[in-house]
Amino acid sequence: MENGASAAESRNVVELSGITKYFTGVIANDRVSLEVRKGEVLALLGENGAGKSTLMKILYGMYQPDEGEIRVDGRKVAIRSPQDAMDLGIGMIHQHFTLVPVHTVVENVLLGAGKGPKARMSVDEASKEIAETGEAYGLEVDPDALIEQLPVGMQQRVEILKALFRGARILIMDEPTAVLTPQNTKRLFDFIKDFTKEGNSVVFITHKLQEVFEIADRIVVLRNGKVAGELPRDDASEKVLARMMVGREMEEIGGRSAGVRSPRKKVLEVSGLKVRGSRGHWAVDGLDLDIAAGEILGIAGVSGNGQEELAEAICGLREVAEGNIMLEGESIPGRDAAEIIEAGVGYIPSDRHREGLVLDMSVEENLILKRFASPVFSNKGVLKEKEIRGYSKRVIEDYSIKTYSPTERVRDLSGGNQQKVVIAREMDIARSLLVAVQPTRGLDLGAADYVHRVLLHARSEGKAILLVSTELSEILSLSDRIGVIYRGKILRFFDEPATADIEEIGLVMMGVTGNGS
Amino acid sequence: MDRKWRFFLALFPVWSVFLGLALSGAMLLFLDLNPLDVYGRMVAFAFRDMYNFADIFAKAAPLILTGLAFGFAFRAFLFNIGAQGQFYIGCLATVSCALYLDALPGFILLPLCFAASALAGGAWGALIGYAKARFNANEFLISLMSTYVAVAIMNYLIRGPLIESKGEYPQTDVIAPHAIIPKLIPHTRLHWGFLLALLVAALAYFVLWKTTLGFQIRAVGMNRESARYAGIREKRVFVIVFLISGAFAGLAGFMEVNGVQHMLVQGFNPAIGAEGIGIAILGNAHPVGIVFAAILFGALKVGGNMVVQTSPVPSSIIGIMEGFVMLSVILSFYLRRRIVTALEKKKLRRD
Repeated sequence: MENGASAAESRNVVELSGITKYFTGVIANDRVSLEVRKGEVLALLGENGAGKSTLMKILYGMYQPDEGEIRVDGRKVAIRSPQDAMDLGIGMIHQHFTLVPVHTVVENVLLGAGKGPKARMSVDEASKEIAETGEAYGLEVDPDALIEQLPVGMQQRVEILKALFRGARILIMDEPTAVLTPQNTKRLFDFIKDFTKEGNSVVFITHKLQEVFEIADRIVVLRNGKVAGELPRDDASEKVLARMMVGREMEEIGGRSAGVRSPRKKVLEVSGLKVRGSRGHWAVDGLDLDIAAGEILGIAGVSGNGQEELAEAICGLREVAEGNIMLEGESIPGRDAAEIIEAGVGYIPSDRHREGLVLDMSVEENLILKRFASPVFSNKGVLKEKEIRGYSKRVIEDYSIKTYSPTERVRDLSGGNQQKVVIAREMDIARSLLVAVQPTRGLDLGAADYVHRVLLHARSEGKAILLVSTELSEILSLSDRIGVIYRGKILRFFDEPATADIEEIGLVMMGVTGNGS
Repeated sequence: MDRKWRFFLALFPVWSVFLGLALSGAMLLFLDLNPLDVYGRMVAFAFRDMYNFADIFAKAAPLILTGLAFGFAFRAFLFNIGAQGQFYIGCLATVSCALYLDALPGFILLPLCFAASALAGGAWGALIGYAKARFNANEFLISLMSTYVAVAIMNYLIRGPLIESKGEYPQTDVIAPHAIIPKLIPHTRLHWGFLLALLVAALAYFVLWKTTLGFQIRAVGMNRESARYAGIREKRVFVIVFLISGAFAGLAGFMEVNGVQHMLVQGFNPAIGAEGIGIAILGNAHPVGIVFAAILFGALKVGGNMVVQTSPVPSSIIGIMEGFVMLSVILSFYLRRRIVTALEKKKLRRD
């Protein structure tokens, strides 16, 4: 695959030069230049917010660059829409799938054909082609299946087939493994290898180091919107890449002391819990768990197996249909969110922009978002501005939130500092229980490390912590106990995370249990 | 950001008002009228004597309130399109009080009328909020439709129980002199209600930014989902916001009936709700902005009316001016965002 420098020039299928993109307040891409060669897997590595997705959305025509030019096959092109990109043979698999759930696979594929030459193909012909392509690449899927009935891994296949159907020879994949089990990840990698062997190219966006070594031929690292380095895989080591990504050496998750778990004191007991999801199905379907004071229970699982619904039910945001939730010996179903906050349950939701923060409110307003009614911050319905300001300044100091003033809009803070605002607030609320769902999602390594240390600190204070994450490494390194969730049930608990077999956890995440259930 | 720019941007609504007037001026050119001449006479008329000048504020008083009716609800990202109906219900309540309870002395009757208009408008508004909270109804449509119901109720009452003693026209009797809001400046139409409207605007500001209720309203307005996660009972907020919003519009009825008209004529002032929406937008849904916007609209009305009465300028020019001013202000918000973004880019590039 590797060629001499001069020969490589002619093999570039895509060249980006001097691409610059501004958003309000930030430079997402700053004079980025890179090329994609024929038949290679290019890994685009960088922390969240480094500008990877923006750059690829420019290549895919979703954004227009403010400066710079794009060449495809040596010709300068203007890509004004995804339609233009697909006409040039560029396809993209987004993190969030763009499928119509109530349509079948073949309908979605045909819909994705846009105005292309195949758009008028009959359903039967298209089904046949999907089946053939699927077989050729090991991406078998029933063309007549409804999307909503397919698991996430299958849906991703449909996305890939959609792009192939449209004639993609350059495939951009935006963190494709985030939603996959280890087994599905392997199959995806097999596909990528087959696909590039035929002279096609893949741009693989990720922030996971180990994937890069597994799949990439060449690696480009982005940091703060700039190219921080470019190197062939064989020259790369984890240390070198990590340093390029963050500008410093990566730290191990530190400060993890021996458990202070006191099994006598159960803080949370969930039994036979059933909760309906937004589509009316049983998202949580007879689930049992318990957490003791000073214990972190990690819930591992592929996203969409009832994790969010479980967390929301505990926090009074979703109705409990059956079963019971006991918080420190008191039954809590039927209480609303405000009452559960009052009872001392903190909640770090997975989507801080949508669920955790009011972005257009100030830092101090967000810090008191759940406690404005407490006598500390208001008196007879009138806000105590002085106390709020004093409290905010203290918290900003304690959590070293980078902001120039408590009155700065949270929208203008970086992702890590936004998450600190959420965490600071929830830590003060969580007298007994902290529910954390994907607490490091979208954070860079430094910020993620900080979040981990805060969670461990809360544990040492004797709080019970329910940690939901799709990052297995996060679960493994933080949890005292691990429960694997699958289709709304905990299939198995692993009591000794340190000695747990990752392969085995991966299998349980896919619903495979040793005892044949 | 450069200080120069900041000053320019802060006065953006002012520039866009001028732009709106310039565009309306262009319409006058089509009629072979000299816009500078017409505007000159408008200003001259508005400031010619105390009567006209005071009338600007008399006209502004109810507009401040219907402006607040839309603006206050908008802070919760709720659309109260029904201020017109809430206004009519407020009118009916206050005129009924004034007519049936005129045996009471003024110092009791006036506060009663005030309270009745606010309560009636508020209750009418709260129905919309309740429909939204209970049935997840679209408040935009419900408030819009509720105006038609309010108009029908007014038509029924004014042609029936409330019709004047002569029974000739669809209007009520003139209310008793002691039910009339006292004049602020003698021999003008400006009454104490204007100061009351300013007080209500101040109250709206206080509620929105200094109380826990306002905190919840703004949180719901800026991110309904996060507010729900924070334990804010949004349904309660819907009802309260529409109650307060409706009370503001109802009070506008008190201003008009007890302050200016002194009776209720069927279907009068049919655009006061719609103008309130424009004023709220012009004032950026902020009580202070709404006060200034309402005064501007009052000035356009007074100056415009005088010009129309004394020259061949068609009366629709007032509506055109109001429309162009609103339009250019809305466009200016978009333009301002573009300029701010461009400035930030420039700054980033320098760093």
